[in-house]
Amino acid sequence: MATTTNYSWSTPDNTAYVKDGASAIRTLGSSVDTTLFTALGGAYPGLRLIKKQTIGTGVSSVSVTSAFSATYENYQIIVSGGVASGYSDINIQLTGITTGYYWAARYSSYGSTTPQASSTLNTSSFFVGSGTPDTNHVNCYIQNPYATKAKKMTANFDNLLAGGASGELQGFNLSTTSATAFTITPSAGTLTGGTIYVYGYGIS
Amino acid sequence: MANPNIQIDDEVREMTDEEFAAYQELVANFPTPIGG
Repeated sequence: MATTTNYSWSTPDNTAYVKDGASAIRTLGSSVDTTLFTALGGAYPGLRLIKKQTIGTGVSSVSVTSAFSATYENYQIIVSGGVASGYSDINIQLTGITTGYYWAARYSSYGSTTPQASSTLNTSSFFVGSGTPDTNHVNCYIQNPYATKAKKMTANFDNLLAGGASGELQGFNLSTTSATAFTITPSAGTLTGGTIYVYGYGIS
Repeated sequence: MANPNIQIDDEVREMTDEEFAAYQELVANFPTPIGG
């Protein structure tokens, strides 16, 4: 029987019966499926772009639907580019979970070497990034937003300002509610432009 | 006076009064921004 060059998948000989064509296609398809699954490390391996959302003009909040699903447990949310109407924190609330957000920031002001900290108890969203008149940015990891488990957040912020600050953010929410969407809201003012990227980490 | 704009996926529109009330409540709970 003929085989392919690299993976030796079986293919029908030129003299094979046409009546065996369906079986030959199934055999070849199964071989490709098995090889790809093994080579890629699973059905949804690695980091995959799930959703890409352009931010409109002068919006006070942006909801991104169909972002989380059972396909992934862990996600990365990036906001890149665009501007804010002023300096603001960017916050994320998972749809259906309106309370129970805890976060803590360890940061320093530019020009200072003094460690500083800030935190909240049982608030309404995670602080996950910064809006500035120069560029907005969020680089946020959220574990279990869809899974019926407690949620964990890791992010950072940077005011992009000489008198501003930058630092690391950690947070959690013990809600086991399953969220499929999230809303980004600046602490004040509006956002214009830029892109929200949602990535999922493969689990198999 | 118009309510602020809300975006849901590709749709951008003015908030309804109900959405604006929820937005105001959310923003009121934000802590003072750090550094900015």
